[in-house]
Amino acid sequence: MSAAMTENGRVLEALLQGQFICAVSDEDAFSYLGLEANRATINHQLAPLNRRLASACDGEVYFCAYEVLGDDEHRVLSSQFQEIATHLHPLVEWLLLAQEAQGSDAPLSAGDPLRLNELQSVIEDTPALREQLAKVAQYRLFGSTSNSVDGQLKQVFKRLVEHGYFIRPNPERLIYTATAKLDYLYELLRFIDEAEDLALEQHAMDALNQQETLL
Amino acid sequence: MNPNLLKAGKRLFKLLDRNSEALMEGYANGQLDEAELDAKQAQALLQAGLVFRPDADSPLMLSSNLRSLLEEALSDIRNREIDANVGTRLNSLKTLASHYKEARHQGDLAAADAYLQDLTQHTYQLTESLRHSTRALWSRINNEFGYVASLSAKIRENQLAQQQVKELLDSLSLLSFESLSQTAGDIRELRRLLVLHLAVAVEECTQELAVVQSRLLALLGRFRELRGKARLLKGFALHCERQPDYQPKDWTLQSQLPDLLNQSPACIRPAAVDIRHQDHEQQLLSLASKLKPRRHNQHEPEASSELSLEASEEFALSEQQIKRDVEDYLVSSFDSLQQLSALDYLEQNELTWPAEVWLYQVWGSYHALPDEQRQYFSLEHHEEDYGQFTGNRIVTDITVAVR
Repeated sequence: MSAAMTENGRVLEALLQGQFICAVSDEDAFSYLGLEANRATINHQLAPLNRRLASACDGEVYFCAYEVLGDDEHRVLSSQFQEIATHLHPLVEWLLLAQEAQGSDAPLSAGDPLRLNELQSVIEDTPALREQLAKVAQYRLFGSTSNSVDGQLKQVFKRLVEHGYFIRPNPERLIYTATAKLDYLYELLRFIDEAEDLALEQHAMDALNQQETLL
Repeated sequence: MNPNLLKAGKRLFKLLDRNSEALMEGYANGQLDEAELDAKQAQALLQAGLVFRPDADSPLMLSSNLRSLLEEALSDIRNREIDANVGTRLNSLKTLASHYKEARHQGDLAAADAYLQDLTQHTYQLTESLRHSTRALWSRINNEFGYVASLSAKIRENQLAQQQVKELLDSLSLLSFESLSQTAGDIRELRRLLVLHLAVAVEECTQELAVVQSRLLALLGRFRELRGKARLLKGFALHCERQPDYQPKDWTLQSQLPDLLNQSPACIRPAAVDIRHQDHEQQLLSLASKLKPRRHNQHEPEASSELSLEASEEFALSEQQIKRDVEDYLVSSFDSLQQLSALDYLEQNELTWPAEVWLYQVWGSYHALPDEQRQYFSLEHHEEDYGQFTGNRIVTDITVAVR
């Protein structure tokens, strides 16, 4: 980044690069967009490109949206949606795996740290998790060809960072922090759940109750 | 006080001391291991009401009084007891106040004094118990009910805490300013105790509980949201398991799209010049030749000087210097026998160290002194509260003085 670039320019650039801006991924840009006046400036600058500032997850995350939707825009959004739809299953399986390996019943959310080494030692010691990871890592989203837990995990995290679901605050350490794009994912799931009337939460609760009665 | 009572109290403490190991084990495990106690000691503990046996076949357990004493003294986060029984305490306050008024009226000053003392103790106990309750609630909020593992358990704990806050608030409304003021009448001592001390404490406590309540609600919302997300993930995975070829419908084809589905893709990408690309060489050269150095916002690089190892003292100097200054400060406080705070000394001697660095160095040097030297000095922190309820304190200054 050039030293002469203003914060306004930096935020504009990030938005036009299709980035999600949240308090974890870019705290300065996020607080910049927290001000009404700055949002108005950005919207004014995005308008000639048929774009505007949009937010999701109760204002936890900002991104760039189309202002007017014509056929072209619909086509772009449709192919983008189909791409992210194919990511949903691998991502959900990965999140469940990470949650299980951490022994927690709360899913990962923005700001939660994930330590690769800890995860690795738990997975290595648990055959069921090892199997699960091998399956998850082979999805096209992650595309791992490695046979070792170490190689699979590193590849998974590499892709998660590339897609903006995690950041790695310190390049010298293997600690990853979840961004609000993960919460965006939950909101997308909830949207699909409601739109398609899948009753996902009910299914999960039924499965849980069944387990309990079996026990 | 009755001398026999004093003696019996001391005996009780000795009894506790003698059985401390068994009692602490009982505190941790919920029940006492009777194999570790001899029958006589167990009998003594039972008689003193420190332990009890719920029924004939069950093991000995710690009495609730002893348990709450330990929970309070050890700041144990499992401490969930909230004493909301303000009503009874209020009645005993009122009764004592009436006793006191009557004794005063009859001119029995000795009895009035005794009643007033009793009343003072009751009042302080009540305010202390209120503060304790709010403290206990805060500590549970601050570690987000960390003593239970699952989200459902956290939600239940949260609901219990909310119930307790509600009960506490209800009982606090009994202690209204009017009723206390009425009880106190126009007697100065009673007004000081009941109106000034108790009513203020009640007011503070009520305000704080309102904050506690809203924090509990926010926390409950978060727990529920997390639980919802967890179920969503689990449900989606199950759904995909049942229908392996499931694909979500394309919802972007509607004319009105929620922002969630309307994320425009990147229209600029990170770019950099490829200096190894030969075809671009001419173009890059011509661009480079047009570049003019910008004058504004430019720092002149500092003239470099040759670095030699002999000069290493120059770098070490400032560290040595601050240590020497601190030594001077300690010596001067030793010589003058005056209490001079570190920052005052810094100012008086026109030293240039930043205040924080100076305080850390004084603090560090004091603790680095050999034991036999340090015992001549005392170190006093000047602290002030930070914020309202956090319990954090900020050290603004320190004074080293001769003991």
